[in-house]
Amino acid sequence: MSIPDTETGSDDAALARRVCQAAPRTDAEAEAELCRRLAPRVRLYGLRHLGNEAAAADLMQQAMLLMVERMRAGALREPERLASFVFGICRMLVLDLRRGHARRERLLETYGGALLPPEAPPPVFDHERLAHCLECLPERERTVLMLTFYDELPAEVLAGELKLSPANVRVIRHRGLERLRACVTGGTE
Amino acid sequence: MNCGSPLDWGRLLAYWLGELDPDTEARTEVHYLGCAACSRRLDHLAALAREVRAVTRRSGVNLLVSDEFVRRLSEEGLQVREYRVPLNGSVNCTVAPEDDFVVARLEAQLDEVKRIDMVYLDSGGATQMRREDVPFIAQSGGVVLSARIDTLRALPATTLHLRLLAVDDSGDRILGDYTFNHTPCRSGQLEP
Repeated sequence: MSIPDTETGSDDAALARRVCQAAPRTDAEAEAELCRRLAPRVRLYGLRHLGNEAAAADLMQQAMLLMVERMRAGALREPERLASFVFGICRMLVLDLRRGHARRERLLETYGGALLPPEAPPPVFDHERLAHCLECLPERERTVLMLTFYDELPAEVLAGELKLSPANVRVIRHRGLERLRACVTGGTE
Repeated sequence: MNCGSPLDWGRLLAYWLGELDPDTEARTEVHYLGCAACSRRLDHLAALAREVRAVTRRSGVNLLVSDEFVRRLSEEGLQVREYRVPLNGSVNCTVAPEDDFVVARLEAQLDEVKRIDMVYLDSGGATQMRREDVPFIAQSGGVVLSARIDTLRALPATTLHLRLLAVDDSGDRILGDYTFNHTPCRSGQLEP
């Protein structure tokens, strides 16, 4: 199965080119627009690798600052490769943030969570509608999807719990996800 | 904004659950970091996962579950009230204010069973609702049902009847009948 090797979107690349070409001066408008576009994508990377909103927000902030700093310094030679450039920054920062995890835990023990931003963003879906859509799923799809998402269980693990094959779990999961998305979005996605 | 070669939902979900090999994972990340459309799809998936988790955590739907799931709930500090209903037996049950989950294990002999349907019966034995092909683990000796908690809290004193059916090409075979004698829990009242 192939993953498309995406060139950075042309608008992103154009903005990146403006930022790079402005050096040693700055193109504040292009920098701000680039950060506005990329920050939500970096947040997703952070959620996936760091597992919580607060850490993902830390990553997002640090990655945007570092990206702009390096672009001003001429480190991005090919604006079309901006996505790979940002990926490298994210990967490095996640390693740093993980090293800082123990320190963060000590601070949390000392000060509690009061100084941290809220963990979860506002809900996107109406809970009652989502519950209704879940109730409408066939039994196996509901069980597989809910157990998958509750603990973010890979197919191999859930297959062991339910005594199914991993391939079977993936098929049930895929069908369930399609049905659930169609229900919660009213077929508009 | 459109993507000429979008990441499909199966791939995005596999990514989100950490199922991809490192090389495919890295290429997936480079793709969505450079792609507004695919990052929006991933954001939609992440939000859906978060909200499904929230619905699950507040016991927002009826759900057939595994023993491991019930154990994890308890380990997380959630209050799980468990009832074991013997084959063709009954149980006195309730839901207390502090309960987060109420689960019932319906004991049955499941060897050789290929498919199970769960039937809700009225007091006369007529079918009210039939849930087809419910998940079960043959070796576990039963089916574990987690009931939607706000529905349970709203119930008056009542008797509920469930039946498990084994289904195959030759038709239906009754595996067991189960009766729940439900009493609402009032403060200061001894629970059943």
